Amino acid sequence: MTASFIRSDDFAAFVTAMIEAGPVYGPVAKRSRFVFERLETPEELRLDYDVTILPPKKLFFPPAQDLIHFSGAGYEAALEPTEKILLGVHFYDVKAIDQTDLLFSERNYDVNYMAHRQTTTIVAANVQTVSQRAFFASVGADVSPRGHDAFLTSIDGGYVLETLTERGEALLKFGDFAPATDAQLAQAADVNAAALERCPEKLEQGTEAIAARVRASFSDEELWSALAADCFSCGTCNTVCPTCYCFDVQDTWNVDQTSGQRTRYWDGCLTEDFAKCSLGEGACENFREDRAARFRHRVMRKATYLNEKLGGPACVGCGRCSAGCTADIADPVRVINQIMAS
Amino acid sequence: MNHQCHWTEVENIFMPREAAIVRSEMATPTETHFTLRMVDGQPIEYEPGQIVELSLFGYGEIPIGFASSPTRKNTFDLVVRSVGRVSGAVCKLGKGESVYVRGPLGHGFDLAKLRGHDVLIVAGGIGLCPTRSLIQYILDRRDEFKRFVLFYGAREPVLQLFTDDLDKWRRDNDVEFYETVDRGDPSWTGNVGVITTLFPKVELSPETRAVICGPPIFYRFVIRELDLIGIPRDNVFVDLERRMKCGVGKCGHCQINDKYVCVDGPVFSFADVQGLEEAF
Repeated sequence: MTASFIRSDDFAAFVTAMIEAGPVYGPVAKRSRFVFERLETPEELRLDYDVTILPPKKLFFPPAQDLIHFSGAGYEAALEPTEKILLGVHFYDVKAIDQTDLLFSERNYDVNYMAHRQTTTIVAANVQTVSQRAFFASVGADVSPRGHDAFLTSIDGGYVLETLTERGEALLKFGDFAPATDAQLAQAADVNAAALERCPEKLEQGTEAIAARVRASFSDEELWSALAADCFSCGTCNTVCPTCYCFDVQDTWNVDQTSGQRTRYWDGCLTEDFAKCSLGEGACENFREDRAARFRHRVMRKATYLNEKLGGPACVGCGRCSAGCTADIADPVRVINQIMAS
Repeated sequence: MNHQCHWTEVENIFMPREAAIVRSEMATPTETHFTLRMVDGQPIEYEPGQIVELSLFGYGEIPIGFASSPTRKNTFDLVVRSVGRVSGAVCKLGKGESVYVRGPLGHGFDLAKLRGHDVLIVAGGIGLCPTRSLIQYILDRRDEFKRFVLFYGAREPVLQLFTDDLDKWRRDNDVEFYETVDRGDPSWTGNVGVITTLFPKVELSPETRAVICGPPIFYRFVIRELDLIGIPRDNVFVDLERRMKCGVGKCGHCQINDKYVCVDGPVFSFADVQGLEEAF
């Protein structure tokens, strides 16, 4: 597709034009942190954010999503996707979206995710501020982001917008763009490369070596018990993860007691009853009863189980779990480097 | 995007279909045996060993294995043990009322690997329900299989399922049926003891194809017996239970290591899962 340049002075008008055309979601400040939210004005947009509290998957896979509405008269799909623009997604989150795109569409295609996904134009943006726990440069380094429609890079005097799809190309009509010069493109490439040098954390070894060693450590009870010793089984590491996609499904009644909804909610494999089945008469079988087993399952999922399917690890190095973990034991860098050294 | 299929062209995998209850019978104090017919007139095409997600709006969904063979046309059976919110509500329903089903889901018994061979089915407790889909299939197409041996263990005589079937199987020349209970009662004259106490009663060929379905503890003991007979592990099939919440390989609850029981199983060759640390 094309590469264009827009001057900083014209950028607010570009964002305003998009907002006037339809819903635009982007990173905005929330106290001292950042969240993806619907933009009301271009001033709210904070492309200098480090990382958002929740990943942008919430737009395609909402924390609570109605699947079915039912009433005494019948039932129908609850799905009502709307066209929208998702602006300012860092490349590591695009890589995560690529993964959930594959996982929700393979084998049994899930329209409840794919409809929201296919009605969204994704504009990636360069990482201006690197978060304190990021390690995106050293995880799955040979996997490139693919699912975005355009990529926006902040350079001297403005932004380069590189478009990858028709959807991305259609954004050009909202702003006063000129063709990007070779010098501008070169600077954009430098800016993106430089961000990779600024990660505070780093995996010591490559994807394949990690996958093999982590898988081989499965039966090392002592190791996993030690790693999980301080785990509260709260599931925060799952909740903030851009590649976690497990869910629970629950029905609820409306106040009329005849209508209601079947809703899926984010769930997390670290929580105690995640794999628990009732056997009746008060008996149950919890197939991952020990928190060490649950902690291990998450690490296996991120570092080995899905690698073949995804072409890389199911972790993109955003550092959200590291920062979110109350006991600070979830950090994949620390866990994996420790396993590699064990 | 790489996944070019457009969402408007694909059916919603979470939409169930209505099934009418044509028979509802208490099988044991906690289990109800339902016979269902699809209200839209389109029978579910399934293989023995597959599952459905059974639901009741306002209560939720649960995974249940087919308890009847697809050779019995137009209706199908499910047995529901009342243990929670959904199963408790479903078990209160009677003839003429409706439930909702999604399916068939998952991977059933690989009939091609059983045909032309001796078959041993080892069922424990509620494990008789999903295996009944295969038992009926074999009895309905008896010529396709060689010797057919069935072992069934229940905790107590009063907890035996499908008692009409059991009576028939006891007399049926098409199946060599052996049964046991963990604890007898004054009326029980049969074998008392765990499932493995049935193995000395019959001589089995190492060429036998074996199918196992029972409570989690059951597998390792039965497999030990099959090893002693010399049945290779890729001729042993296990029907596993897990929390198959979505049934379509997404929600994550039923994972055994990297396998999703709801789509990769629930029936697996033992050779394929024996290396999975979380399987048994």
